[in-house]
Amino acid sequence: MEQLILKYQNRIYNVILKICANPDDAAELTQDTFVKIIENIGRFERRSSFYTWAFRIGVNLTLNYCQRSAKHGFSSLDADDNEHSQHAKTQLKEFLSDDSSPDPAAVAQNKELGEIVVETLMKLDDAQRTVIVLRDIEGMNYAEIANVLGVELGTVKSRLSRARSSLRELLEATLR
Amino acid sequence: MKENLNIDELLNSFIDGELTQRHRTEVQRLISHDPQVAKRLHELQECRMLVSSLPRAEAPADMAERVKASLDAPVFLAEKPSGFDTRRGATYLLVRKVLAAAAMIGLVAVLGVLVYSVLVPERPIEIPMVADDQPDSAPMVEPRPRVVVAEFYGRLELETDDFVAVDASVGRAIRDNGLSDCVSPTRPRDKGLYALSCSREALSLLLADLSSIWQKFDYATLFVETGQFAQQIVVNAVNTEQIGEIVEQDTLEKRTEVAANFALLNNMTELLPGKELFAAINGEEIDLITTVKPVYTSADETTKRLPPLTESGRKVHLTIMIVGSK
Repeated sequence: MEQLILKYQNRIYNVILKICANPDDAAELTQDTFVKIIENIGRFERRSSFYTWAFRIGVNLTLNYCQRSAKHGFSSLDADDNEHSQHAKTQLKEFLSDDSSPDPAAVAQNKELGEIVVETLMKLDDAQRTVIVLRDIEGMNYAEIANVLGVELGTVKSRLSRARSSLRELLEATLR
Repeated sequence: MKENLNIDELLNSFIDGELTQRHRTEVQRLISHDPQVAKRLHELQECRMLVSSLPRAEAPADMAERVKASLDAPVFLAEKPSGFDTRRGATYLLVRKVLAAAAMIGLVAVLGVLVYSVLVPERPIEIPMVADDQPDSAPMVEPRPRVVVAEFYGRLELETDDFVAVDASVGRAIRDNGLSDCVSPTRPRDKGLYALSCSREALSLLLADLSSIWQKFDYATLFVETGQFAQQIVVNAVNTEQIGEIVEQDTLEKRTEVAANFALLNNMTELLPGKELFAAINGEEIDLITTVKPVYTSADETTKRLPPLTESGRKVHLTIMIVGSK
């Protein structure tokens, strides 16, 4: 059991955190995910990989939690209340207007830019945010995402396409 | 618009490496011939890079321990009851209200019967007179039935957090009422112990004096002997009037009944809302006496040596024990 937890805990926690944006909730949801995995491991039918089955449990728990949170009128992160510094906005503007290919390592080290991206992600709806997180953060392919979300491959393509378009528009809106 | 969406889907699939080699070649040709498509591809690539460059968070180090703990009592955050099932909630509340109302009605009825039986004095049974032809000058004198008066045996336990002052007050009241001779000579120092053997009248006077310091007792419990081995009636939160009334009963049966009624009444009064009302009915001042459930106690020092009931008269054997609150 410990090996299972150690193997997946960071990846599952990271995905859940990027979806719900609250470290405490993410920790508790990760914990709940492992409890469910262990309790239901006898029902795992090997129709999909264990990896996608485990993430399916975690993502479903997280999306249920997000829906309940939204219904109850509170959000883990209130993006509208966050004022970005002029410096961060300038960096984002430079990044978006740069026609050359930026250095991913430099982007990763830019903390302020990262905060803007996280907050902008939270403005997407849950379904769009989840598909982007699974693809761009966890690095799943489309088939794995379809398996985790229980949707068709075409749905993943169209949802991811809309999600990236929306994210781009929202990031540009931040600069205005 | 739909065309743009399709191009976006195609470009995203291109970025994510989800295209076959043939489609990939076609997209590369499209990008090289159309600057707008090339620009859009760059925008989508930037989006992807921004998200994929976000720092990776690490799970709490104690995740394994937390999971183990949760396996004992799992309650999932995402499945915790929301409390928004209004229909079930309304039904539940209605059932609770009905049950609460029924319980209150039942309690009030029981209490009413008890209060009535305790407070309303019994009427003497009137024997109907029948006219007869007997001359008045020769009245038939019937022998008066002999009343068997049961002596009272009991123990009064008083607990106070002001032991020294209260013990002194009780001792003074005993002296003032001329009961010093009635007190047993053996008396431990750590507690006030007064073994009284006196008349009912003397006890009434003593109780009248003690009523002024009654509020200083945290607990006042009267143990009344019932005449049966190893069975006493315990009257919690007893007051001086109740003690007097219990002692005043001439027969053991009546005394047992009155004591049992007071025991039940005192306990219920403490448990019910509006206890001040019942205290007011009893003419009491509200004090801090706390009750526990009435019980028949097991054999103890008093009951083991239960003296025989006699016809000797209105005598009272009451052991008063005063202890300090712990």
